[in-house]
Amino acid sequence: MEPLTEDTLPQVSPFLDPGNGTKVNSLAILQLSRDNLLPVYLQPPTQGHDGYAEGAVVNTRYGSFPHSTMTNIPWGSQIRASKVDTGSRGRNNKRKRAKGDEAGKEDSTPAITAEEEKPQTNDGEIAAAAVREAVADSSGFIHILPPTPEVWTSSLPHRTQVVYTPDYSYVLHRIRARPGSVLIEAGAGSGSFTHASVRAVYNGYPSSETAPPSQQTKKKGKVYSFEFHEQRFRKMKQELTDHHLDGLVHLTHRDVCEGGFLTDDGASPGADAVFLDLPAPWDALPHLSRRNPKNPADETWVSPLNPNKSVHLCTFSPCIEQVTKTVSAMRRLGWVDIDMVEIANRKYHASRERVGLNLSTDRGVNVSARDVDEALARLTEIETRFKEHAENVARQMSDDEDESMVLDAEEYDQSGIGPREGVKEERRARKQRLLKEAAGLSQNEAAATTATSPSTTPSWMEGRLITRGEPEIKTHTSYLVFAILPREWTEEDEAAAAAKYPVVGPQRVVGVVDKAARKQERREQLQKLSGNRKARRKERDEQLAGAGAAV
Amino acid sequence: MHSIIQPNSWVALKLPSGVTKVIQIAPNTTISLGKYGAFPSNLVIGRPYHLTFELQDKAADEDFSRLRVVPASELHAEAIAEEEAAEGSTPTAAVNDSIISARDGEEFSLVDDKGNVVARSNREIIDDNAAQKLTQDEIEELKREGNNAGKDVIAKLLLSHTAIEQKTSFSLAKYKLLKTKKYIRRFQVLPIDVASFAQWQLEERDANKIMDMRAEMIGLVGCWGNVHYGGEEQMLADPNVTTHQGADALVPVNKDLLSGRYLVVDDTCGLLVAALAERMGILYPEEEDEQKAGEANGESAEQEPEPKQEQEPETTKTNDDINMTDAATTEPASTPNKQRNKPKRANHGKPRPSDFAVPFSQTNTITVVHSASQPNLSLLNYWNFDIAAPNHPPHPLLNHLLNLSWLQLLKPELDTTYSTPPPTASPEVLESWKPSRRGNFHRKRRRYARIRHIVDATRAGGFQGLICASSMDPISIVKHTLPLLAGGAPVAIYSPFIEPLAALADCFSVPRRTAWTSGAATEIEGKTLEELEYWEGNERFPLNPTLLQGVSIQTSRARRWQVLPQRTHPLMTERGGADGYVFTAWRARPAEGRIEARGKFKRGAPGGKKVMTLRTEGGERSSTPTAGETPAADEGVEADAAAAAKRKRTDALSTLDTEGAVAEAAAVEVDAEEEITSPTKKRKVVPEEL
Repeated sequence: MEPLTEDTLPQVSPFLDPGNGTKVNSLAILQLSRDNLLPVYLQPPTQGHDGYAEGAVVNTRYGSFPHSTMTNIPWGSQIRASKVDTGSRGRNNKRKRAKGDEAGKEDSTPAITAEEEKPQTNDGEIAAAAVREAVADSSGFIHILPPTPEVWTSSLPHRTQVVYTPDYSYVLHRIRARPGSVLIEAGAGSGSFTHASVRAVYNGYPSSETAPPSQQTKKKGKVYSFEFHEQRFRKMKQELTDHHLDGLVHLTHRDVCEGGFLTDDGASPGADAVFLDLPAPWDALPHLSRRNPKNPADETWVSPLNPNKSVHLCTFSPCIEQVTKTVSAMRRLGWVDIDMVEIANRKYHASRERVGLNLSTDRGVNVSARDVDEALARLTEIETRFKEHAENVARQMSDDEDESMVLDAEEYDQSGIGPREGVKEERRARKQRLLKEAAGLSQNEAAATTATSPSTTPSWMEGRLITRGEPEIKTHTSYLVFAILPREWTEEDEAAAAAKYPVVGPQRVVGVVDKAARKQERREQLQKLSGNRKARRKERDEQLAGAGAAV
Repeated sequence: MHSIIQPNSWVALKLPSGVTKVIQIAPNTTISLGKYGAFPSNLVIGRPYHLTFELQDKAADEDFSRLRVVPASELHAEAIAEEEAAEGSTPTAAVNDSIISARDGEEFSLVDDKGNVVARSNREIIDDNAAQKLTQDEIEELKREGNNAGKDVIAKLLLSHTAIEQKTSFSLAKYKLLKTKKYIRRFQVLPIDVASFAQWQLEERDANKIMDMRAEMIGLVGCWGNVHYGGEEQMLADPNVTTHQGADALVPVNKDLLSGRYLVVDDTCGLLVAALAERMGILYPEEEDEQKAGEANGESAEQEPEPKQEQEPETTKTNDDINMTDAATTEPASTPNKQRNKPKRANHGKPRPSDFAVPFSQTNTITVVHSASQPNLSLLNYWNFDIAAPNHPPHPLLNHLLNLSWLQLLKPELDTTYSTPPPTASPEVLESWKPSRRGNFHRKRRRYARIRHIVDATRAGGFQGLICASSMDPISIVKHTLPLLAGGAPVAIYSPFIEPLAALADCFSVPRRTAWTSGAATEIEGKTLEELEYWEGNERFPLNPTLLQGVSIQTSRARRWQVLPQRTHPLMTERGGADGYVFTAWRARPAEGRIEARGKFKRGAPGGKKVMTLRTEGGERSSTPTAGETPAADEGVEADAAAAAKRKRTDALSTLDTEGAVAEAAAVEVDAEEEITSPTKKRKVVPEEL
């Protein structure tokens, strides 16, 4: 992977504004199949990348896709596979590729692998050759999608347990992450929640000098993200740079349970919302107070929270014991409206349930009776044929007793094993004759013939439309504990508010009022309305009269 | 969103009984909470949200209840005390100091043996009412004579319960909770944002009105629709047309300027629009500096006796002029007659924009397509936005909410407003008219320019997403809106029921798409991609099945838990009703010409045959033994097709049934001589455009 340089960076992250189409040096998501998504940083067409004449290539089990065929095209495009000579280059590092499996991993995400392979290819002979135009292959295709937190969540390189869309969509809704909010996230993990929360709070990049002063004042949304694991922190940092989210996410390498949530220079993020994905959130909670929890009089203590707002908090813990401890800590630290939920998400697939004796014999068709009528028709048919067979045998026995007694007896024995077997035998031997004989039983006949001839309805319209859950469901992800910390309200604040809004005089009652008051109110309202109407009518009449006079 | 309760804002009052009341906090009124008492609204205006207030007893010289902020430690006293008791580290005195904390010097002390009561069988528990010595009259009397915000009543109720010793600690807690809910005079003020409003509407108001849309669904739809802030507001330059210029002077739609736009079909009376607007940062007025805002409001409350709009949501508007409704989105006080009367207020020093100035931002907008002649977005009134109000006071939605009817979108030439050319008049003629006629003239011209812009911009397409919550058939919605979406744009459709979404998903089923792309659909032969984007649909192909990718249906449900010391469990009951489902997909741009799918396959079938490996969640089903393959993510169409497959007499299996690339292949078996790279059916690969 090429390191992205400052001047090649587009201004806005592709997650926030992907533009009209794919661009070089930007992230794109390849959709191989519905749930198989692959993130790729599109690279400029430099020749001989990794031994390919076409430049960088993504190899999948659906074909090979040179980056050049995926660059500068509209999002959502279907891309044909290209004829790529994987053979000659493959000889160099065949073993490695065999391990690399189908998903084209060697070209896409892990930067390290790409770098490892590079020197090898530079040794190779193709380095000097010009970038070859990709030639479309006869089959195979993928779709290219703009990156969104959703596709990123399902395609990102896992470092920890991922917060999936059903959870984070609900969490962000509940903690009121909106454009302009400042959000603290502890335990950045794999970064799925980070990306989703950036999208939620984004309302423009931090203003530069060029922005007009009117917009300078607008509060810009930002995510303060903390990660204590150093390797994850570094990867996350790189990812944020690659995704052009540097100005929007402030990533700090720290154990928040120890070090708290202030920025490195001791400033307060001024958070409006907090999301904690930590093993022990109760250890981090004391840092999220309005005042020093140990010494409320301590004026030097800086709170990471927005002093003017209620702060919404969510913790994400898989175990019930964690929840108990967290909730207990919350109660002691002054959080209110504590609410715990867990999210159960289910996916459904719509498909056709095709059951019937007379359906086309595709895969997925359940060849059994569709309903009782069909079962009945078939049983009747079988029964009839069995009877006919027996009669035939009897007739033949009496007709040609001498000649074929031995033979027919054998046959009868065979069919006597079971009516079904017998009919099958019979059908195989004397199908034509039987069909003619059974002509009288037209209904059965019809059922029998349609069973063999394909119906005219296309297979995708046959059968009943059903929905079925996915074969494996996530029954538990984590418990979500929500809480709110109202802003501090001191005696002085109260006095000021009381002075501003003094209680004066007798007042109209709103809200829950007794029946008499309600009736009185309604009466007044009606009177007012009718009065208005009358006045309006009068006015209009006068106007009309005036206009008529003028004409 | 303000953190301080503003005068005349809509708020939710949460009562101890769990009931929420949504009211507009008008200054200088008394807010009644029914049995919990009443208090003057000025006692909560200017205070922060989310605080819990307690109605105090009326002072001797006052005829109203003052409020006290209840600290969180008091709210949680009971739970904390129980926790401590459970740990065994604290004496019972701490337990007694629970929420019904008798003040020092009160004549009663609370159930001091409570902590000693150990769990017993429920047999001994006597019916609550029978055991209660206090009569209803006595309770009423207690309530009347000032009682420390109901706490005394509860305490006395507990004390006079004859069987209190027989209660287990659990049933005692329950009894206390029951009585607390009934008598404690507390309430909490919550802001009306989408989350709290939707919950109230769903659980206490009319869930049908918002199509049973739960918070989980609002979150899912917003995320899968990728709805977010779509860039700085961008207004088109004022063309400065004069009054005698007609339709040709309109500002043309510049497609390059349009970005961050979402197409919305909303039958939830505006809740969906509100949720999206919240995500895009256009639902709440821009936050001012807290102090400044507070001062400004304070002044207005003191000096002006509220020139406030008397908007009551869901009360019928007394529109005396029908034409006025069309002026919904004009700037406040831009009607000429008003301007003449009060020139100072109307102008604010800025020149009035000309009639053909486009009043909408080109970015970060919501375009609502509605099925009636006017959109039903009545719930937006709770955020002080009234779609039908002329001369609307400033609101961010004014510039960012565009609405048009299906007629205007699909057959604009039939729409009178769109197709009637605007009136023109020379300035002299105009001057001779009466103010009202002149006002109508300008209004018509502005309305014309507005509708033209909305319709033309919408028909220009390029939307960043389609979000629906509609009672209409989603297939018909998608048919007409898909061509308007940019490539890769997400589609998120909410429905309370799964059936309509399943029918929609079925239009994009794998076999259907395979038939379409492989040329089995004779009806599309010779059509270009553009023509197929506007595919009108038939019985076999209601929609062009190649226009959406990654079709999926899902649902979410939040299960709430009670978390209390030793008593943590999921709630016993929750709201039922429609589950709610979300259909998600992305707009695809199919490649030109016929295109074949390809999947991974392995050689090795005996007899020189290469058999495709079938990947399902159950692993591979194939006559070829293949190892080392991980089960692919799968459409799961035929999860247990094994039984059915066995019954088949086909000696090879059909292709991968994953969606997307692989799935299109319907081939069963590949002959030895067929090329490795095309394991699908032996179809001729002829580019269609030739």
